[in-house]
Amino acid sequence: MRVLLIEDEIHLREQITRQLSDQNLTVDAVADGEEGLFMGSEYAYDVAIIDLGLPKLSGIEVIQQLRQKGLDYPILILTARGRWQDKVEGLESGADDYLVKPFHFEELLARLNALARRASGWANSIICCGPICLNPATQQVTKNETAIDLTAYEYRLLHYLMLHAGEVISKTELTDHIYELDQDRDSNVIEVFVKRLRSKLDPEKALNPIETLRGRGYRLTLPRG
Amino acid sequence: MVSKLSLSNRLLIAVSLVLTAFLGLSAVSLNNAFESSAEHEQKKRLKNYVYTLLTAAELNHSGELVMSADLAEPKFSIPNSGLYAQITSGGDIVWQSPSAIGHFLALPFNPGPSNEEFHIVEMETGMTLLNLAFGIVWETDNGEEIAYTINVAEDMQGLQEQTAGFQRSLWYWLGGTGLMLLIAQWIILRWSLRPLHDVAIDLHAIETGEHRRLNDEYPKELQQLTYRINALLDHEESRRQRYKNSLADLAHSLKTPLSVFRGELENSESMQQLRKTSYEQLDRISTLVDYQLQRASTEGKSSLLAPVSLGEIIYKIIGSLDKVYQTKQIQTQCEIERDAYIHADEGDMYELLGNLLENAYKYCKQQVHIIVTTLNGTVRIRVEDDGSGIPARAEGFVIKRGHRIDTQAEGQGLGLAIVSDIIVAYEGNINLERSRLGGASFVIELPRQ
Repeated sequence: MRVLLIEDEIHLREQITRQLSDQNLTVDAVADGEEGLFMGSEYAYDVAIIDLGLPKLSGIEVIQQLRQKGLDYPILILTARGRWQDKVEGLESGADDYLVKPFHFEELLARLNALARRASGWANSIICCGPICLNPATQQVTKNETAIDLTAYEYRLLHYLMLHAGEVISKTELTDHIYELDQDRDSNVIEVFVKRLRSKLDPEKALNPIETLRGRGYRLTLPRG
Repeated sequence: MVSKLSLSNRLLIAVSLVLTAFLGLSAVSLNNAFESSAEHEQKKRLKNYVYTLLTAAELNHSGELVMSADLAEPKFSIPNSGLYAQITSGGDIVWQSPSAIGHFLALPFNPGPSNEEFHIVEMETGMTLLNLAFGIVWETDNGEEIAYTINVAEDMQGLQEQTAGFQRSLWYWLGGTGLMLLIAQWIILRWSLRPLHDVAIDLHAIETGEHRRLNDEYPKELQQLTYRINALLDHEESRRQRYKNSLADLAHSLKTPLSVFRGELENSESMQQLRKTSYEQLDRISTLVDYQLQRASTEGKSSLLAPVSLGEIIYKIIGSLDKVYQTKQIQTQCEIERDAYIHADEGDMYELLGNLLENAYKYCKQQVHIIVTTLNGTVRIRVEDDGSGIPARAEGFVIKRGHRIDTQAEGQGLGLAIVSDIIVAYEGNINLERSRLGGASFVIELPRQ
């Protein structure tokens, strides 16, 4: 899952980036509204965290402009101003949730996961497809209630495929959502990850959880629920 | 800034200009009226003299004009008396009054039979005369008609002196009246503008701290103004008081978590214990800061606030909450009276309704009902939900003046404490009842003004 973070306070920005990366989320962090708007419009994100008091372009304006461009990924507002009038203004401008500073990181993570889930049509906090379940809060993956051990990238890949279960996801889209911007990207590696995921999820080759569609990408075929 | 004329100076200047114009025009018209009436008088007199002369005139047998030696007007007989007469016929002087001897020369005026002409004649001596030339035709015994012109002239000096005297006294009177009116006007102005002056002094006394509010005894026209200023002062005062209290409460209430912190740092044996306590106390500090910040920023009741629509605010908050609680699929039902307006600060109403509605959204199972009604200057807001656990929610929820959050039960949400504070600031009241939906029903009543 790829997250855009727009926060001008350097300590908070670095702290959130570190904590989210520890949770196996892909994070792009920027310090001002203009850059945030550029990143938010240019790249595909699963969720954005936007501080309201930003230099150059206010958080509200960034949100309004992103929405005007037709971008509909969920946005979480971070604000030091806890007044309801500010919250309503933020949510009316197009955000989906708000969090007042100071906050617990667990709270932020729970809200982000909930927003991402909601956006892809999931109601429960644990995502299950067939016998495979993924808990974004604990990053645990189970098959028939038996834990499966995944590496960070395998987890990221599976998380994204499961969020969008049933949809065809291209290799580029997968690359975009699991790698940070400044990382070396190689779409061939995706094939390797998918292969490893298949063998870990389905060693008996009975389920065939991930389908390859030649020239188009991959699809998680297990039924949602 | 350009310095502006004072009100009393404006009025004085305006009144002086009007008075001057009025008195000047009066003087001119009175003077004209007097002059024309005096001239009219003189002309009438001259005509009478003509008739006097005619009664004294006679034609003898040879057809010559003979004047009786005894003229009715003695001034005709006194030389240089200022009244002169002469009778001419065909350019020849037939008769001259004794007063005119050596003065009065033949005049070229010849108005014709039964006509009269008035002329102003400047004499070589510098005398100015008003002359009446009157034409007559006399028939002699043998039927011959002879035309005569009777000239009567009177010195105009008398008229001029009379006019000058009139003008003098006219100017004295008008000037005096004008001056008196101006003085009266100045006194009236001072007297009527006195309350404005008093307000300024009163305001200055507030500035220097001698008074807290403006005096109530002002004329009706000023009362609206002084009433508003007093309302503003009261509002500012209560806000200042709230700031002061919040600051004092904040400082005071921070001491508890800080001392727990310090105690834990000094005595804690395990790192884990220290961490746990630090988290707890940081949360507490953060809650205290939020709460006191909120209290300090509450505007509170004031008659100066514009009306805000509760319906508009409620719908906006519901829109926001529906987004945040999307997965809960809450069914919200609103019954809001159309003119549910209240004179209050918009931010305060957002805070009050936001916290109240969020509380309902948080604890409900699926349903939230909002009913807003108005009655006799009061707005009643009822927020109901189908959640459970009223006792737990009611526990820390006590409306009490000066109630501080650090004295409340731990774990209680900040929202309802803020709600209570705002209601207290607006002199309203709140009740917690059991809802027919099964959950809690908060009923708030607020004065509309």
